[in-house]
Amino acid sequence: MTRFVAQRLAWAIFVVWATASIAFVTSSVLPSDPARMVAGPQARPEDVARIRVQLGLDQPVWVRYRLFFRRLVHLGPAAEKAKDHETCGTLAWVHVDLGKSYQQRRGVVAILADRLPRTASLALAAVLVQAAIGVASGTFAATRRGRPADHLAVAASLVGVSAPTYLIGLLLQYVLAHRLRVLPLDGFGQTPLEHAQSLVLPALTLGIFGASYYTRLVRDEMITELRKDYVRTARAKGVSRVGVVVRHALRNALVPIVTVIGLDLGALLGGAIVTEQVFRWPGLGSLSVTAVLDRDGPVIMGCVIVTAVAVVTLSLVVDLAYAALDPRVRKR
Amino acid sequence: MRWTRDAARAVAIACAAVGLGCAGELEPPVPAAHPDDPTPRRGGVLHLASFADMRVIDPANIADGLVPRVNQAIFAGLVDYDGSGRVVPDLAERWEVLDGGRRYRFFLRAGVRFHDGEELTADDVVRSMERALHPSAPNPYASFYESIVGFAEIQDKKSEALAGVTAEGKYVVDVRLKDVDATFLPALGLQVLRPVCKSAGRRYSDTWQPCGAGPFKLLPGGWDKGRQITLVRHDGYFRPGLPYLDAISWSFLVNTATQRFKFETGALDLLQDFRQAELLRFQRDPRWKPLGEYEAERQVGAESMNTELAPFDNVEIRRAVAAAIDRDHIRLIRPGNLRAAGLPIPPAVLGANPSLPGQRYDLGAALEHMKKAGYPYDPATGRGGYPHPIRYVIYRQGLSEYTVQLLAQDLAKIGLRLDVQVVNYPSYLAITHRRGKAQMTSAGWQQDYPDPSDFLDPLFHSRAINDEDSNNVAFYKNPRLDALLDRARRELDPPTRQRLYDEAQGIVVDEAPWAFTHYYRWYDAHQAYVRGYKPHPVWTHNVSFSWLDRGPSAQAGLAPRGPSTVLGLLGGRRGAP
Repeated sequence: MTRFVAQRLAWAIFVVWATASIAFVTSSVLPSDPARMVAGPQARPEDVARIRVQLGLDQPVWVRYRLFFRRLVHLGPAAEKAKDHETCGTLAWVHVDLGKSYQQRRGVVAILADRLPRTASLALAAVLVQAAIGVASGTFAATRRGRPADHLAVAASLVGVSAPTYLIGLLLQYVLAHRLRVLPLDGFGQTPLEHAQSLVLPALTLGIFGASYYTRLVRDEMITELRKDYVRTARAKGVSRVGVVVRHALRNALVPIVTVIGLDLGALLGGAIVTEQVFRWPGLGSLSVTAVLDRDGPVIMGCVIVTAVAVVTLSLVVDLAYAALDPRVRKR
Repeated sequence: MRWTRDAARAVAIACAAVGLGCAGELEPPVPAAHPDDPTPRRGGVLHLASFADMRVIDPANIADGLVPRVNQAIFAGLVDYDGSGRVVPDLAERWEVLDGGRRYRFFLRAGVRFHDGEELTADDVVRSMERALHPSAPNPYASFYESIVGFAEIQDKKSEALAGVTAEGKYVVDVRLKDVDATFLPALGLQVLRPVCKSAGRRYSDTWQPCGAGPFKLLPGGWDKGRQITLVRHDGYFRPGLPYLDAISWSFLVNTATQRFKFETGALDLLQDFRQAELLRFQRDPRWKPLGEYEAERQVGAESMNTELAPFDNVEIRRAVAAAIDRDHIRLIRPGNLRAAGLPIPPAVLGANPSLPGQRYDLGAALEHMKKAGYPYDPATGRGGYPHPIRYVIYRQGLSEYTVQLLAQDLAKIGLRLDVQVVNYPSYLAITHRRGKAQMTSAGWQQDYPDPSDFLDPLFHSRAINDEDSNNVAFYKNPRLDALLDRARRELDPPTRQRLYDEAQGIVVDEAPWAFTHYYRWYDAHQAYVRGYKPHPVWTHNVSFSWLDRGPSAQAGLAPRGPSTVLGLLGGRRGAP
């Protein structure tokens, strides 16, 4: 098991490095000028040129690449406040430095530290909503296969999958926030209670969208499991219908669901771009969109690295969860 | 089955509510408490929103279009612009023009206090100017002040001081120019050189807490980046009794639909980010119409033709394009914001002359110009015209995605075909500002400061041509125009200056490096209880001296609705005023 985890960790580091390198080279060779984006469309050439020098963009790409990875993770005194380390995130002697945002002129680590917890809370809430709704409605539909409730669940999931998140978001926003005024229209709020209230609509939006897919997946898996011999045996032994469904069939049906949940969580940690924009949720999604539109290289790199780390970490967690759920995987 | 029926009914009601909400009547405006009493009242927080975000607050780094709105409340300048765009005293109670226009002497008001309580003196003015023009500041407007003596030396790091700006006593500042520059005073009205507190130091820093001498101040923690900023009243502001508001609060990155929802309920006090259909609804609603007003037109839109590339190296082709565009059709794309344009300088800019003959639609004349250019075109048979497609570059989500469709139809009528290339905005800027890349592009310019030079010099003077980063995107050269613009820049007599700029505009209109299509104007709607607000010709949402007359109904509009109203609202009934 230790060897397995070590191999996966080494692979994860390689994947993050490769992804970051591709992102760095791509953002550097695009036919656009980050200095012009900072200075604005009407700035005079001499002002743009001065800003380009200030940002270090007058250096060749390979020099910037070397500098970026040399500073990305380095060692330094724990309480270092020198100018050299002002953009670092510090954990004891280990410093992580993603540079300074061209546009916001703040350390990227500090920007990500603000945004990541908000994105993580939204991602977790959304996954919980979609898993809860999806598993419940999928199981409900599978146990009533061919009956009106099953048709309704399938039809509703089809509508949910087909409707884009911005449509679901605007609908919920209009009904629950604008007309009924039971929830905030958008934003993040100031207090923990307001944060929680503000989280409801974006989490519901993502949750409803994701739940539609989960409903279909759980329904199909459950139908397959409910046909198997062990279910019949359990029933013959006198286990109740609910007990068979929940304790036996659902547990086996959940194995593929765990994979999907893990991947979904990883993707959502990279930011739910549309939903964050609709609800003005200050997470990584809206940050990465703005960074790409502004050609803000350091922020783009920060978002790419965070997303890559989230996806490979969640993939690792999913592999470990497989082993926990299915003894056959452990034996292999 | 009953559960199924209930669910279906709920979905139907929600859909009906949304449908009615989108197409139904607007909520009525929240009324003022004392509509007939013109006496300003103190107190209250004014709420504004924008779909954009603000990055940095510092006069030495005005990095986006939203910052000036906030800067205007925090930082006061030596001079400012009045309601017609003229330069007027602000921190300087007066100034003298000396040495035939090569020296300006500003006399500061005594006793002006910064937000930190320190007195503002001539030394602060000198320090702030040096700080803003030092090369360590990421100042995108530094070159506006290149005529100040010592500018080149400080930019080239040959000097740490700005030799041309000196304190002559506690309340007198002298600014010496290398040559007479009629644009110096209009450019000084911008926020770039405004005095900043001593805490800003002598050099730009990203971590400075903004502090100035304007009517509002930013307290520590008052700016939640990417979300909201709240400025509170500066009680030591130098104009007695002002400002009236307790605070101004801006929310950022708020989409237009949300802004409209909030505005209708009184959670927002002013609205500018309209979707086109919503804007027309507000303009047509007799209850909202008196509460809306256009801002001055400060933005011109056009089709830029690269005069160094065929076929636009031929002036007759450019004239043909300028005459072939039906500007009234283009205006209809956004009738709430666009007006047909024929001149380079929008009519509301100080020094514009709307009576000049501009470019106009004349299909017959356009065909005649095509003939003179050597590419006669017969609309009846479709024969003739320019044989090659013209590469036309636009960016996604811009107005030009729509205007190009009409442009292509108009130009097809004179035998010109467009090959439209849609790119993202950063690539658009890179391509269009680079020599020899794009034959034709959508183009535009927004007023930086209210003066004709701000439009004509960067867009059409040959000095503004560069291989990279060219502001003159038509790469247009005309020695006669250059001479006129250079003379006008040094001319201090307003009528003579006006005559020179009129003549310059005549050349641009005739030789058509740009075919002007529209002026863009923003529409502001405000709540009835927002008093004393008038759109400013330079500063968007200049609410520093507005006041609020909110009544109890304004607060009621924000409250959550009780269960008794919920069912009615779901059924589509509008809320009570």
